Amino acid sequence: MAALLRGLRAGRTLRGLSSGKTGPTSRVVAAPSAVNPQCSNLNRGFHRAALRLQDESKSDKPPSSSSSSSSSSTTYHEHYQATEHDTAAEASQHDSASDPAAEQPERPNTSYQDQSGEHGEEYETEEQLQSRILTAALEFVPLHGWSMEAIAAGAETLGLSSASTGMFYNGAGDLVLHFIAHCNSQLTEILAEQHKQVQLGQAEPKKTADFLREAVETRLRMYIPYIETWPQAMSILLLPHNIPDSLKHLSSMVDDIWYYAGDRSTDMNWYTKRAVLTGIYNTTELVMLQDSSPDFQDTWSFLDNRIQDVVNMASSAKQVQSTGEAVVQGLMGAAVTLKNLTGLNQRR
Amino acid sequence: MAASMRLLVRRAVRLSHRNITLTAAGAAARSGCCRGPSVCRCFSDEAEDRSTHFGFETVSETEKAKRVYKVFENVAQKYDIMNDAMSLGIHRVWKDALLHVMHPQPGAQLLDVAGGTGDIAFRFLEYIRLQEERQKRRAARSSQTPSWQDISNNYSTEDESRESRAVVCDINKEMLKVGKQKADSLGVSAGLSWVVGDAEELPFDDDQFDIYTIAFGIRNVTHIDQALQEALRVLKPGGRFMCLEFSKVNNPILSSIYDAYSFQMIPVIGEVIAGDWKSYQYLVESIRKFPNQEEFKGMIEDAGFYCVKYYNLTGGVVALHSGFKL
Repeated sequence: MAALLRGLRAGRTLRGLSSGKTGPTSRVVAAPSAVNPQCSNLNRGFHRAALRLQDESKSDKPPSSSSSSSSSSTTYHEHYQATEHDTAAEASQHDSASDPAAEQPERPNTSYQDQSGEHGEEYETEEQLQSRILTAALEFVPLHGWSMEAIAAGAETLGLSSASTGMFYNGAGDLVLHFIAHCNSQLTEILAEQHKQVQLGQAEPKKTADFLREAVETRLRMYIPYIETWPQAMSILLLPHNIPDSLKHLSSMVDDIWYYAGDRSTDMNWYTKRAVLTGIYNTTELVMLQDSSPDFQDTWSFLDNRIQDVVNMASSAKQVQSTGEAVVQGLMGAAVTLKNLTGLNQRR
Repeated sequence: MAASMRLLVRRAVRLSHRNITLTAAGAAARSGCCRGPSVCRCFSDEAEDRSTHFGFETVSETEKAKRVYKVFENVAQKYDIMNDAMSLGIHRVWKDALLHVMHPQPGAQLLDVAGGTGDIAFRFLEYIRLQEERQKRRAARSSQTPSWQDISNNYSTEDESRESRAVVCDINKEMLKVGKQKADSLGVSAGLSWVVGDAEELPFDDDQFDIYTIAFGIRNVTHIDQALQEALRVLKPGGRFMCLEFSKVNNPILSSIYDAYSFQMIPVIGEVIAGDWKSYQYLVESIRKFPNQEEFKGMIEDAGFYCVKYYNLTGGVVALHSGFKL
C-alpha cells in the first residue's frame, strides 16, 4: 500500500517534471535543491536503461536497500511493478522502466531480468560501468587534462557522485589506457572492414607501403581532438607502473596492422617488421605533437618519408646481400687461383 | 430548560459510555490479564534476551547502547589526548591515509558518522581547500594571458561550483560538544555542521552524500548491518563508503606485541590520563570482538556495496574498508 502511494506520488512528480514544472513532494525529493537530483536520477535511469539494453541480465542490490534507495527514481512504472510484484522488484527494474517512451519494447524484458542473480554478472557490470565512466570522462579531457577531475566530471554526467572516481586506483593512467584501447579497437574494426571489402572483391588490395601509411595515419588522426593534452598523456604512459600496459597496447596495435597488411612471416622478419613499424609510429607521433601545419600535413609527409626509407632500405638490403655474395665468391675464386699458382693445392 | 436538559442527558450518556468502556476494559483486563501483559512481557523479554557483546561481557542489546553512550560520555573531554597517547600519534597517520585514499573532489559532501570530535571532517575540509588552491594555481599557470572572454567566464563559473560540506553525526552529545569547541579554536566554521543521530537510523534523506565515513566507530554500533544499510541509503549513487577500524593482525609476532600492549598498557594509560580504567578496558576488548577484515568485507558486500576493498594499515592493526554504491 505504501509502495503504491509512493509510486503514485512519484509518478505525479515525474509527469510534473517532464512538463517543465518543479513541484516535488517531500517524500520523493532527497536533497534541498529540487530539480537537479531528479534530473540526475532520471539520467541515471536512462543510463541504467541503456546498460540494460546492452547486457541481458542484471543482478543488483538486495531488494530491501534497493527499494529505499531508488525512491527518487521511481516513476509510475514502479507503481506498475508494485502492483505485480511486491517490494521484491529490484532497483534495476525500476530504472529500466523509467522512461516510458523509450522503454516500451523493454518492458517484456524486466521479468526476464528478475530471474538473473549471479554474482559473476555483477563484476562484468562493474567493469562495464567503469568503461562507461571513462568514456564519458573523455569529453572533459580538453578542459581538465588527463586527470581525476576529468573522471569525476565524467562520472557526474552519468549521474554518479564524484566519489566513484575512487574505483580507479590508477587514476589518470586508467583514463589514458582506456582511451588507447578504445582507439586500437576502432583501428582494428576499420582494418577488418577494409579487409572484408578486399575479400569480397569490392576494393583493390593496396601495396604494403601504402597500407602501412594509411593505417598509421588513421590511427594518429584519432589523437587530433586531444592533441593539446597528448604530451601529458604520453608522460603518464611512461610512468613505471604504466609501462607494461602501454607496451602491450602498442605491440598489439602494431601486430594488428601487420596482420591486416598481409604479413604471415614466421621467421626473424616477424620481429624486424614490427620493430620497424613501432619505430615509425613512435617517431611520427612525436612529430605530430609539435606540428602546427594545417591538418598536420607535415606529419603525414614525415610519415611518407619514413616509410619510403624503410622500403628503400629493404631493396638496398637485398642488393647489398647479392653484391656481398658476389664479392665473396670472387674472393674465394681469387684465393683458389693463387693457391693453384703457388702449387699449394697439389697433394703430395 | 430544554437545552439544559439536553446537556444533562448528553453528559449522562457520555458518562455512561465511559463507564461502559471502563467496565469493558476492566472485564477484558481481568479476563485477558493472563494473556495481555504476559504477551507484552514476552515481546520485551525477546528484546532483552537478544544479547550481544560489550567487550568480553555479554549484555542485552538495549543495555549495550546505553553503556556505550556512557563510555563516550566519560571519555569525551580527554578523547583526543588519549588517542595520541595510546596510539603514539599514529592515529593521525591512519586518518591522513583515509583522506588520501578518499581523494575527495571539490564540491563533495561528506557525512562523518560517529565523528565525535571531528578529526575526519577537519581533514576533509583542509584537503579540499588545498585541492581547490592547486586547481586555481594550475588554471592560472596554464592561462598566462587570459582573454577578456576567459576572465568573464571565470567570474561566472566561480559562483556555480558547489561548496563542499562536511556533516559530523554522533549519537553522543558530549563528543559533539568537544568537536564544536575544537572547530571554534581552529577557526573552522564554513561548510561544517554537527548533528546528533544514531548510525542505525540516520536523520537524513536518501541520496544525500558523496562520501560516508565512519572512523573507529562502527564496532560500537549494536547492529552493524543496520548501520551499513543506512549508509547505503544516504549515499548518492556512485557514493563511497569508507570505514576505518581496528582489525586482526596477521603477523604472530606483531600480534603478540599488540595484544600485550593493548591489555597491559592501554587501560593503565586510561587510568592515568583520563581516570577511567573501565572505558579503555571496554575499548580493547571491543576491538577483539569485531569481525576480521574478510568478514567485514563480506558484511559490506551483503549490505549492497560494490568494489569492496580493504587496506591494512600498520600491519593489520587498522583496516580501511571501502565500498561503492553503484
